[in-house]
Amino acid sequence: MMRVIPIVLWSVCLLLSSCTKKNGDAQPANAVGFAINTLNNPFFVDMKRAAEETAEREGIRVIIQATEREMDVEKQVQILENLLQLEVKALCATPNGSKEIIPAIIRANQKNIPFIVVDSRVDRKALEDAGGHIAVFVGSDNVEGGRLAGRYIAQRLGNKGQVAVLEGPAGHETGDSRLRGFRQAIAESPGLAVVSSQLASFDRSQGYTVFQNILSAQPGVQAVFACNDLMALGAIEAIAAAGKTGGIVVVGFDAIDEARRAIREGRMDATVAQFPSEMGRVAIESAARILRGESVPPEIATKIELVTRENVDAKAGE
Amino acid sequence: MTAQNCVTARVVLARESGTLISLVLLSGILAALSPHFLTLPNLVNIVQQSTIIAIIAAGMTFVIISGGIDLSVGSLVALTGLITADLLHAGFPVWTAVLAGLLSGFFAGSINGILIAYAHLPPFIATLGTMSVARGGALMYVGGGSISGFGPEFRFLAHDAFLGIPIPVIVLIGVFFLSHIVLTRTKLGRYAYAIGGNETAAVLAGIHVNVYKSVIYGICGMLSGLAAVILTARLNSAQSVAGTMYELDAIAASVIGGASLLGGKGTMLGALIGALIMGVLRNGLNLLNVPSYVQQVAIGGVIIAAVYVDLSLKKRTPWGKGQ
Repeated sequence: MMRVIPIVLWSVCLLLSSCTKKNGDAQPANAVGFAINTLNNPFFVDMKRAAEETAEREGIRVIIQATEREMDVEKQVQILENLLQLEVKALCATPNGSKEIIPAIIRANQKNIPFIVVDSRVDRKALEDAGGHIAVFVGSDNVEGGRLAGRYIAQRLGNKGQVAVLEGPAGHETGDSRLRGFRQAIAESPGLAVVSSQLASFDRSQGYTVFQNILSAQPGVQAVFACNDLMALGAIEAIAAAGKTGGIVVVGFDAIDEARRAIREGRMDATVAQFPSEMGRVAIESAARILRGESVPPEIATKIELVTRENVDAKAGE
Repeated sequence: MTAQNCVTARVVLARESGTLISLVLLSGILAALSPHFLTLPNLVNIVQQSTIIAIIAAGMTFVIISGGIDLSVGSLVALTGLITADLLHAGFPVWTAVLAGLLSGFFAGSINGILIAYAHLPPFIATLGTMSVARGGALMYVGGGSISGFGPEFRFLAHDAFLGIPIPVIVLIGVFFLSHIVLTRTKLGRYAYAIGGNETAAVLAGIHVNVYKSVIYGICGMLSGLAAVILTARLNSAQSVAGTMYELDAIAASVIGGASLLGGKGTMLGALIGALIMGVLRNGLNLLNVPSYVQQVAIGGVIIAAVYVDLSLKKRTPWGKGQ
């Protein structure tokens, strides 16, 4: 037994390495690296799919890699450095950290590799201080998305009432921007009060627990804004467990399939649709244009819109 | 109750007194700070919210007592949850899907045990490896997504109550009752202490250490599977990212409950109280609307304080040196 195990282990390793060998070949002249935030989230899976389709259409090769965890900034920098080692001709990335990614951008700048930032912004001041620059930013305006959510809640509650917020991971630029936009919109209606704003780290299970606790502390809550759909989906289960389905306005962000289904079924009220597939497509198209020597604008905004029961079947992001 | 039972009960309670004191103190503080804390619905919520971590902690305590550690439990929650969910969607009856979740957990767990017992890998490394393998497997299984939407015949596991007690709480009590019996009244339990206390002595005493280790890790995996079933029913969804970092919460619960990472020490009651301390704390911080950064500081502080209280009380008692 003891002697067999190492043999088995090594043969598994060999098998795995033979499966991946074809990726190790020299890169074609137009390879583009794409460091995606994480592939644990359908949002980024959509982005990846669109990027791959676009790359095929554009006749370029895209190497997509992702960190295991959404917050893993250090691993993402490693991925970017490895992609640079593979001698890609352009780099795209959805930053896991708005400042932490800067060293990787500088490295790309030194090698004259154009760097395309997707979805989540890089801290502009820190980047300038470090002497770095990016080729183009592709993404939707998360602050505006937060505002859309805030205005929707204000309208649904008739501009007065108690609102709760489920926040994204501490210090995450995307979550923070959504929150900022949301608070701006809420501040426009003095009758609305944010009675509880808690961290649930973009996580479904935490969305459930934290919102259950908020419901105990603030039984008068009439609406909740979750900075992503996974937390909103957790919250609607907590609302169902409390027997309050339909009594609390739930607004999420990202418009993932499950959230759309929940809206269709009346368990959730709205979500803000970003268009990850459009981001993936535009990112690769921009890379292709840069590689062909064409110029691209410094920022390309992808669309953003509110999905409610009225338009969930119609269009919105599909 | 016989006199001996009385003594046993008193010793057991005294042994947990440090942890219990921490739980009572913490609850007292939170009750004073928030009027919403000490209400029946909220207390039920806390127990329910603690179920997942508590069930995993029961398995973890087994492993820790036997001198090991299992870092793969969080990933196993994701993988076994997906297996259960997949079978449910494929139309299998609920009991089959649940059983498959438990058995796949047991199977995956015993792989840990085999790697540790027969291939002599250090538990930390073996389970660190399977943690990554199982997480990757879960992500591959559904392409990074989730499987969701189940019928009431499955969701009752998280949402219904029997005689007013939520099903997860009943499961929790059942798990801890059984685990306590196994740990204190069976060969498996006594051998776990023996292996953790002094493995060489256990081997010399003729205990089939390798077999027992494999079974112990198998049980730990199976309990992760059970936690996954409840989590899936609760969230109406099995996700490939479910259970991330649960291993750390489960280890914390065990250790707060008096288990020693050196092995040979720990109790089920302690682990349960440990899990409740974590649950009470998270709930209380939410109720008080404590800023998120401060919450993390508070959680870490309480873990350290609880273990310290427990250790300093044990130093003064004769049974502190024992199990």
